[in-house]
Amino acid sequence: MLPSTFNYASPSRKGAAWGLFLLLGLFCSCGRSSTPDSENIFRANLGTEPPSLDWSLATDHVSFNVIANLMVGLTEFDDKLKPAPVIATSWEVLEGGKKIIFHLRDDVFWSDGRKVEAKDFEYSWKRLLDPKVASEYAYILFDILNAEEYHQKKITDDRRIGVKATDDRTLEVLLKQPVSYFVAITTFEVTYPQRRDLVEKFGAAWTEPGKLVTNGPYLLSSWKHENEIELTANPKYFLGKPAIEKVKLSMVNEKTTALALYEQGQLDFMDNHSIPALEKPRMSKLPGFQKVPQLRGYYYGFITDRKPFDDVRVRRAFSMAIDRRIFPKILHGGEEPAISWIPPGMLGHNSGIGLPYNPQEAKRLLKEAGYPEGKGLPPVTIGYNTDDDNKIVAEAVQGMWQRNLNVLVRLDNQEWKVYLSKLKNDPPNVFRLGWGADYPDPDNFMKLFTASSGNNNTRWRNARYDRLLDEAAREWNVEKRKRLYDEAQRILCETDVPIMPLFTTAETTVLSPRFTGLQLSSMGRLALQHVRRSSKPDSGR
Amino acid sequence: MAGFLLRRLLYAIGTLWVVASVTFVLMRVTPGGPFDRERRLPPEVLANIAAKYHLDDPWFQQYLRYLKEIAQGDLGPSYKYLDRSVGDIILTTFPVSASLGSVALLATLVLALCAGLLAASSRDSWIDRSCLFIATLGIALPHFIFGAGVIWLFSLQMGLLPPAGWGSLPALILPTLTLAAAPAAYLASLLRSTLLETLDDDFIRTARAKGLPESLVLLKHALSNSLIPTLSALGPLIAAMLTGSFVVEYIFAIPGMGRFFITAVTDRDYPVIMGVTLVYTTILVCANFVVDLLYSWVDPRVKVS
Repeated sequence: MLPSTFNYASPSRKGAAWGLFLLLGLFCSCGRSSTPDSENIFRANLGTEPPSLDWSLATDHVSFNVIANLMVGLTEFDDKLKPAPVIATSWEVLEGGKKIIFHLRDDVFWSDGRKVEAKDFEYSWKRLLDPKVASEYAYILFDILNAEEYHQKKITDDRRIGVKATDDRTLEVLLKQPVSYFVAITTFEVTYPQRRDLVEKFGAAWTEPGKLVTNGPYLLSSWKHENEIELTANPKYFLGKPAIEKVKLSMVNEKTTALALYEQGQLDFMDNHSIPALEKPRMSKLPGFQKVPQLRGYYYGFITDRKPFDDVRVRRAFSMAIDRRIFPKILHGGEEPAISWIPPGMLGHNSGIGLPYNPQEAKRLLKEAGYPEGKGLPPVTIGYNTDDDNKIVAEAVQGMWQRNLNVLVRLDNQEWKVYLSKLKNDPPNVFRLGWGADYPDPDNFMKLFTASSGNNNTRWRNARYDRLLDEAAREWNVEKRKRLYDEAQRILCETDVPIMPLFTTAETTVLSPRFTGLQLSSMGRLALQHVRRSSKPDSGR
Repeated sequence: MAGFLLRRLLYAIGTLWVVASVTFVLMRVTPGGPFDRERRLPPEVLANIAAKYHLDDPWFQQYLRYLKEIAQGDLGPSYKYLDRSVGDIILTTFPVSASLGSVALLATLVLALCAGLLAASSRDSWIDRSCLFIATLGIALPHFIFGAGVIWLFSLQMGLLPPAGWGSLPALILPTLTLAAAPAAYLASLLRSTLLETLDDDFIRTARAKGLPESLVLLKHALSNSLIPTLSALGPLIAAMLTGSFVVEYIFAIPGMGRFFITAVTDRDYPVIMGVTLVYTTILVCANFVVDLLYSWVDPRVKVS
């Protein structure tokens, strides 16, 4: 029972209660706000804060997604994933491929009005290689003469590095040896030009709004850390000002929250950062839904110097006992089953290479290796980093191996960094990893498994494989390159099988029907410059 | 009083040193480093990165450098957010967490006081049982369920409030509610049980026998004598709420400091781990100090010294 002195009906308290109610009502009415149709704003979700907008230091695709809309470089990859001119009008390959000369356009301007010149590229590339800057992507330019030596501090004079602006419009690059993929590297954001005067003037703060000077379709107008980045159309962009005046890129981590924002009309675009896995089937029925295949492979590797996977017959048996058609059905993300390593769309992709699903042959191979019906097989563990999708894949593979080979494998998952450390020091005999392209060339995928690669966790080495890749890198004839990669892929995925490619990934996207023209590339880059308001009536979400 | 303040200051410095040292050791013994990537870096690249951040120095040197820099107020650069220092990150995100935490703390105290008083004054009635039921629910429901529930109800079904964001009053309501629910429920049940014990004491019987109104008995005599356990719980609660909650900030996209308690660890961003831990410890020490002062204000039998 309430104390008698608590008189809730007194006029003053009544007034206060009504006041509170009205205030709440006011708050609530404000909560419905969404951008009116008349405003020329496009809103997407980055998912997280970009770790860096300094393209010499950035390493992740969130940062690159922002940078790719602020900046352009010498080239970009076209629909066929070949380098196409942007700031470079053309390039000459001389001295058997050891010298490349890029000729630059004369009409590309920085946002402060200065022309983009060849010396901006020279400075940017040398900065990327500078040991004091300590860029993680420094190695991407190690094909340039003296670049690796400069990064290793074996030489200190940066004039000895093989990149030089011979005049305002010409950039000359000298390579250690001919590499046919070098022009493809210039599509990568880390090679975009930089302004020495501004980097030296502002130090680490040169990427902050008000200080950052760029040359791309959009300008950085505000960056509320952990919250929102705002871009405005660049009126001086040499290919014309974008149709959308403002772009707001929010940083909503939680996918269900991002989806709620889209459904409330407060987001205009969703990708894998914003769509919960369980909602993908529902999203696929929405207008504006698209699955964009990515140049990203997902594979299981074997530790090839330990039993039982030191025997190639066992590796082949385990690979042939997996029916990869299951993965798109259980992951719902538009995955493409893969038995070869170079992803579809990339030069050298060949779906005819690899070991197809064949449980009978798998059983036979296992028996031949001395493990009939899996008997006597040492314990097998699949290691993966903790993640829902990885768990689903591992459980599916575990089931197939038990069904097809009568082998019960153990699953072992760890937190990401602990897992990476374990891979280095005490790896499980089957491990999960993935690989995404830095630039769209097969060299970037295939070099992973050479004897000298730090990313080859399988402990497998094959001199023939390494030689084929060296030859392919030096080969400028596309058909001959393809043949070399075919042979290398056969070694990797059919004869030696240190890895089992499982599938290539896809990005699931939904674009509001109010907009059109958004391009998400197979490298996961969000190109905003062609986005415009749709002429079609709003068909709802 | 001066002696008491000096003692507390020395105690605070000692606590910070112990926390900084334990955090430093834990960071270094945890497997995985800040620059371990799926794409393993070449040794020469790793060597330059290690040199840039002095990670190639012996541990003890790194530890001494840390302590020296902390003493100078320099928390160092972030290993993940490469354009920013830890000081920048904390200066940007802590005010956000502290603002949300302050509002949520206020809501917690108001809800806990109202519910605790209501339940204790209506012992064993349906009101008491309802308060207990709601409190148990509030304690049992994890933040992420509660948060998802209120987004579903108030944003998606009713369309009344935004599901996320920062910078407007409507956007503050759902995270405040989510952040306040569990501590309010806990404090309400704590206050209720303490009040019920106090209400059975002789001095309450005497007060009632003197004919004092029940409200006065409850608010003046019983409440002030039942606040000590609640105040004890308040110190850690203030620190936890002001420094932000990972789950609440994650669900409602709040640009606060709370998320760094988890993400800095998964990224092995050592300076950020150290920075947020030290901020948390400082606030905890300060909050406990304030609570100690409040003890003597609430109950004059407790002397500050």
